[in-house]
Amino acid sequence: MNGIEEKIWNYIDGNCSPEEQQAMDILIATDEVYKRKYHELSKLNVEFSCMELDEPSMGFSYKVMETIRTENAMKPLKAAIDKRIIKGIAAFFVVSIAALLIFALANVSWTTPNSTSSMFSGIDIKVPQLGNYLNGNVLKVFILFDIVLALFLADGYLRKKLNSRQTQ
Amino acid sequence: MQSKYTDTELIAQSLAGNQAAYADLMKRHQRFVFTLALRFAKGREDAEEIAQDCFVKAYRSLANFNGESKFSTWLYSIVYTTAMTFLRKKRVDTTSIDDENTYIQLENQSGGMDANIAEQKSRSYYVNQAIDQLLPDDAMIITLFYKGEQSLEEIGLAMGIETNTVKVKLFRARQRLKERLERTLKHEVNELI
Repeated sequence: MNGIEEKIWNYIDGNCSPEEQQAMDILIATDEVYKRKYHELSKLNVEFSCMELDEPSMGFSYKVMETIRTENAMKPLKAAIDKRIIKGIAAFFVVSIAALLIFALANVSWTTPNSTSSMFSGIDIKVPQLGNYLNGNVLKVFILFDIVLALFLADGYLRKKLNSRQTQ
Repeated sequence: MQSKYTDTELIAQSLAGNQAAYADLMKRHQRFVFTLALRFAKGREDAEEIAQDCFVKAYRSLANFNGESKFSTWLYSIVYTTAMTFLRKKRVDTTSIDDENTYIQLENQSGGMDANIAEQKSRSYYVNQAIDQLLPDDAMIITLFYKGEQSLEEIGLAMGIETNTVKVKLFRARQRLKERLERTLKHEVNELI
């Protein structure tokens, strides 16, 4: 009997292959045992589908959200800061240092002196006049970059504040 | 009121820091999660504790949800592991429906609820009662299959078991449910006579 039930459940669930399904159709139509069992299990299947879901208490969602809010508030500042901002600042410094280094190395005159008494006395380092650059376009670009960065950070901060106000 | 957004949209909003979106997502799934928790805890307070724990855990690891499965399948896997941990902690007696002592105990329990019974004597009431008497695993499979819109594969994914095992367990759980329903309804008919 279990074999029959298993087959019929598979048929009801739609887990049969087309051939099996066809064979079951014939069996249900012709065999009295299969027919009776099929009607019995189909009825049960409908009853199982009618089970009711339980409802949690009224304050359930409030309690969960409160727990989440408390957890967020207890997070250290380090975890609350967006990692992309930290990476952006790091990238800015790395690029600046690299640019300065390349610029400095490009301006070094690598002529070796004849005398071996002093190894470094022959290296002629030309220190650039920073004043020439700070008054030009470089300074304007640098200030523009700072303003864009400040606006981006302020936007992120205000968005976060607005979101937290909406949830309260 | 249910949110007009899909689960995926609500998850994206939640990850962007919008907690109201997560509240909407939770409202959508809370009845089902709570029902599943009840299958394990058998008491409303404990079930609420499990369900609450599930939603907090889900929020914490929302960024890890990769969208390969349905959100509900992912959430039910959290429910399953949380409930199992709860059972281990509380050492709840999860005796089977086949155990005769359990049957007698449950018979006595139902005898004490006569005041409510007249109102609640519907088929779905009996089905729910019979499901409560199944082993938690079986009760979860039955609930996920009939109410959770989960396929056998998805149930296996949520519970960490093979699809074939789910199929076998589902078949056995249905048989036990059928036997239990027959026994209960026979008892009720005798009572009415």
